[in-house]
Amino acid sequence: MQSDMDAAIDVHDLHRVYGSGNSAFEAVRGVSLRVEPGSIHSLLGVNGAGKTSLLEVIEGLARPSAGSVRVLGLDPISDRPEVRRRAGVLLQRSGFSGDLTVRETLAMWAATVTDPRPVDESLDLLDLSGRARVRMRALSGGEQRRVDLACTLTGRPEVLMLDEPTTGLDPESRHRVWELIRSLREDGVAILVTTHYLEEAEALADRISIMRAGRIVLSGTHEEIVAGQPCLISFRTPDREVPPLAATKVDRAGSRTIVEADDLQQTLTTLLAWAHQYGVRLDDLTARAASLESIFLDVAEDRVAPTDPITHPATEMAR
Amino acid sequence: MTTRVLGLARSNVLLMRRNLLTVVYAVVVPLLPLALLTTAPDRTGVAGAVFVTLVLLMALLFPVYYNLLSMFVTRRDELVLKRLRSGEATDAEIIVSMALPGATLVFVVAGIAVVVAGVLGFPLPTNPILLVIGLLLTCVTFAALALWTAAWTKNAEAAQLTSAPVLMLATFGVTRAAFPEGAQQWLDLLPGAALEDLVRVAWFGVEPGALGTDAVTWAATWSEALPALGYLLGWTIIGALLARRAMTWEPRG
Repeated sequence: MQSDMDAAIDVHDLHRVYGSGNSAFEAVRGVSLRVEPGSIHSLLGVNGAGKTSLLEVIEGLARPSAGSVRVLGLDPISDRPEVRRRAGVLLQRSGFSGDLTVRETLAMWAATVTDPRPVDESLDLLDLSGRARVRMRALSGGEQRRVDLACTLTGRPEVLMLDEPTTGLDPESRHRVWELIRSLREDGVAILVTTHYLEEAEALADRISIMRAGRIVLSGTHEEIVAGQPCLISFRTPDREVPPLAATKVDRAGSRTIVEADDLQQTLTTLLAWAHQYGVRLDDLTARAASLESIFLDVAEDRVAPTDPITHPATEMAR
Repeated sequence: MTTRVLGLARSNVLLMRRNLLTVVYAVVVPLLPLALLTTAPDRTGVAGAVFVTLVLLMALLFPVYYNLLSMFVTRRDELVLKRLRSGEATDAEIIVSMALPGATLVFVVAGIAVVVAGVLGFPLPTNPILLVIGLLLTCVTFAALALWTAAWTKNAEAAQLTSAPVLMLATFGVTRAAFPEGAQQWLDLLPGAALEDLVRVAWFGVEPGALGTDAVTWAATWSEALPALGYLLGWTIIGALLARRAMTWEPRG
């Protein structure tokens, strides 16, 4: 195992239980993950998967029931002042007083930060200069989210924990926020970001962890995750018997034939050569490589075994 | 610590100023009882103490207690407090910054009361230090009671109802003169009564107790005010313990 000092965020076998006795609910069930400086780790999962429960422990807003969390090598609760000074937190839901202007809100937040960015710089960073004198209650949801993010970045954090940063943003703002998050990575910031937008995880993340029911069931780079999963070929079942394919699974349920294979090109070549040779027409032919989306849906519906050796978090820890 | 508290307090003052109702409650309500001073039958401490106590009590109840209560409940429900707690500011800093504007108003109102009372011909405070100590204690007490009340206040509107017990507890003591003599020693324990005793002794140099009339020398004010200060300290401890036990930062479901 690597030393704790290398990772900006190091979570090991973390559990979080709400309540006690019969009503106890374990929202986080043994999660391990690491985020290195200068990298983005995306935590994907459907609502209720435990992303926010996990993040709150990493942020030091809640205590773990078991397991350990180190942020910059420190304990988020017992070393709170230093961790908070060097980390930036964006909550999934938070609020601001509606009667303060954008500038006043940022100034208020800056007053709580040890070494704050100048307010004008924060306004520029999130394209809010034109809205500086507008009261918070008059802002759109997306603009409020950008003010929120500006607060998070006020202390020039070394570690960022962003809980669904782009929810409520229009596509253009979302892309700008992605640009911003990427530029922070260039500056060496370690970023842990939850999202339920697959597109966002694909666009940003160096590593992706997919959570379901309190556990990380898949974790790795985008390529690693996709590589471990089969691609899919499907077509209307022809009259002639389909030849043996290098497929992991062939399903002839109903009028369609669905082929799962590890190597899309090779399997498809065999299939098409056979069809060409015998003049078979493959109606409604579709072929797609494993995508994050298909994997995510499989995970959400519990079709992915959490013990996949390539991507199991335990092997990740051992590397 | 201080920069964070003052920075947050500045925003809280700004927010108070932008809300007319808050301004009325925080500034106008405490100053109104000053007019009662003109109705006092004479300019002695015995006559003035109840009115001065009412002025101070209103300042403690509205700018400190009610203002902090509604501010805390509103910002808790708007998730403003949750957001603040995710940053560098500590819980204590957040609380102090919210109580500070109201507590400052208490001392401003007390200053105005000294001037107005002086102009009307009442004596100036005999022992201002004791008064300041008493006001500091009561500020903390009512701030703590505000946090305790907030814990079982569903939303800002509900505060109009949930604040009633504390408002009554605080003002009840000032009416003690209307009760039979046997009840006095118990009524003296109430925060309003203890504050009145402190005003009698430390401001007007009159012995404590609703029916007392004897003069107290400056040197004797320390010992004469001791029981009242003790009761006030007791209420501070009770308030702090209640707040500590019950306080919640998350909206009530």
